[in-house]
Amino acid sequence: MEKMKIMLVDDEERFLSTTKKLLIKKGYETLTAASGAEALEILKQRNIHIVILDVKMPGMDGIATLKEIKKQFPLVEVIMLTGHATVESAIEGLKSGATDYLMKPTEVDDLLQKAEEAFEKRQRLEEKIRLAQGRKFMKSPREIIRDQSTS
Amino acid sequence: MKPNPYGALKKTILTCMILVPFIPFILVLGIGYYYFTISLETSTIFAMKRIVEDHRQMIESFLRERTADLNYILNSESFDYLGQAENLRNVFEHLRKVSNAFVDLGIFNENGLHVAYIGPFQLSGRNYQNTSWFREVMKEGYYISDVFLGYRQIPHFIIAIAKSDTEQRWVIRATIDTQIFNELVEGVSIGKTGEAYLLDAGGVFQTERRSGGSLTQKDPDYRKYGPAHDGIKTFLGTDTKGEQYLYATTWLKDKSWLLVVRQKKADAFKSLQKASYLIVLISLAGGAVIIGVAFYLTGRIIWRMERMDAEKNQLGEQLIHAGRLAEIGEMAAGFAHEINNPLQIMKSEHTLISMILADLKAKGELIESEDVADLEDSVSQIKHQVDRCAEITQAILKFGRKSEPVPEDVVLCTFIPEIIGMVAKKASVHGIGVKQNISDSLPPIHGDPSQLQQVMINLLNNAIDAIVARHGFSGGELIVEALPSENNHVDIRISDNGIGIRSENLPKVFTPFFTTKPLGKGTGLGLSVCFGIIHKIGGEMSVDSQENVGTTFTIRIPTAV
Repeated sequence: MEKMKIMLVDDEERFLSTTKKLLIKKGYETLTAASGAEALEILKQRNIHIVILDVKMPGMDGIATLKEIKKQFPLVEVIMLTGHATVESAIEGLKSGATDYLMKPTEVDDLLQKAEEAFEKRQRLEEKIRLAQGRKFMKSPREIIRDQSTS
Repeated sequence: MKPNPYGALKKTILTCMILVPFIPFILVLGIGYYYFTISLETSTIFAMKRIVEDHRQMIESFLRERTADLNYILNSESFDYLGQAENLRNVFEHLRKVSNAFVDLGIFNENGLHVAYIGPFQLSGRNYQNTSWFREVMKEGYYISDVFLGYRQIPHFIIAIAKSDTEQRWVIRATIDTQIFNELVEGVSIGKTGEAYLLDAGGVFQTERRSGGSLTQKDPDYRKYGPAHDGIKTFLGTDTKGEQYLYATTWLKDKSWLLVVRQKKADAFKSLQKASYLIVLISLAGGAVIIGVAFYLTGRIIWRMERMDAEKNQLGEQLIHAGRLAEIGEMAAGFAHEINNPLQIMKSEHTLISMILADLKAKGELIESEDVADLEDSVSQIKHQVDRCAEITQAILKFGRKSEPVPEDVVLCTFIPEIIGMVAKKASVHGIGVKQNISDSLPPIHGDPSQLQQVMINLLNNAIDAIVARHGFSGGELIVEALPSENNHVDIRISDNGIGIRSENLPKVFTPFFTTKPLGKGTGLGLSVCFGIIHKIGGEMSVDSQENVGTTFTIRIPTAV
């Protein structure tokens, strides 16, 4: 089974480093990005399963980053981290494709729990995709060969 | 007492409201009076002139007729014939038929001897050669005397005419009854005090004057009539008795007699006086009405302005209050949001510390000791305090949230019991009896149900806290009522028999961050959030409390339209 890879995106450097340490201690592969742009850059290079994304960031803010991630990497699960108690920003995030949301300040355990849930969801999704591709293969091997050659 | 801010305005309005109608009012009355006076004077004087003119003509024609009578006799009969007393009597009797103003009739020869006489006296045979009238008539051929006493010692006047025959010059003379002449002259009627009389050139009365002044006396006011003049003269004058008269005078044509017609000024201008009284009366009444109305209207205007001002002030206060709340909310929300980031880091750091401590202990690198226990306690205290901070920021963010309510129709008779159900367990644990009095016929209200729920739960929790603080675990009573109120509003009342609120704290309960709870137990934002919510949906929230008796919160919300 694949290990969950998490990326933390926040403009608070210390939050990134401490939380990264914690997650690594707990045995998770963790990456950090200090901005939306950086996060997108990393996503291009690495296979990340879960992104923990702060809503409020200078430059490209959380919602914009989320939209961009969902556009470029639809399979990546995003959990929004909001400093605002209102659910409005969270709702907006959820509408834009976020899997879940967390309120600041949040416990690392809560964060991990949500991340695990999101990871399960992702795995189920990947499973479905695999199954679908399998069915396709059963049906018409030539097509698959053609698909593979064109893609 | 502060001075009335409308004092000056009141004065201005009052002055304008009195002066503006008053000036034209007085002008109209004044102009009306002026022209009325002129027209009345003109018409009175004109009437007076006409009377004088008519009267003069009448008197003149009387004298002319009498003269013509005598002329007729003179020309139709001879001296010899008339010299016979018998013949003269015949003629006299004819003459009396024409006019009974004739008192007697006499014939004189050129030497002034009274040849024949018919009349009440014995005058025949007397000689008049040296009397002035005889000399005058002989010279002029015609004479009308002034009134005089003569031999008879009775006022009379005479008309004498001379005629020259071939043989001699003779004279016929008649005496005119002053009584009849008097009546003729006096017979003028204008008003109550109007009168007419004749004066001779020397100012002696030729006829009697009704208001005093008998024949042959001199009129004391004669000088006023001025020198002889043509036509009719009118003027105002004061007589010796001090009475004001309107005079009209004219001189007769054939005789230097002055006809005077006069009327007391007050009488002549009686209608003017009446008009004056009426004008004064109208001015006073109208003025009183104007002043009264001005005072009344000014009072009304000022009253309305003061009321509007009071309303404006009240509204202003409410706005300021609401505005301040919003400002505080916004500021606090921004502040809380910023605080959340460091809190997050602190939390992460804390988790890391505890994890490292646990690792060290597990590896045996950290030996259990009192210091280590203290360290762990301290670390857990950090977590506790961070959580406390997080609670506060959450509350602040809730308070300051800018989201608009999503109002919908809420049916209170099902909505309120649901909310009470949420706190029912907590209430029963503390031995509190909850009573509900919610009318089934309440109209639905208009508001955001989740916000209303927040308000209700907040108030119910407060009530439970207050009851527990006073009664402990028994004897608590909580009443929730919902009743229709005036102007399409519904009152929701939550009453408890808890510790109550101190009177000095009562005005501050809705102020943000005001709390009486011990440190760390309350943020002081609950009621101000409730207040803001109710205000936003167009309602009002008020509190009534007595220490150690209980508290009642009342929410007044508009019903759904």
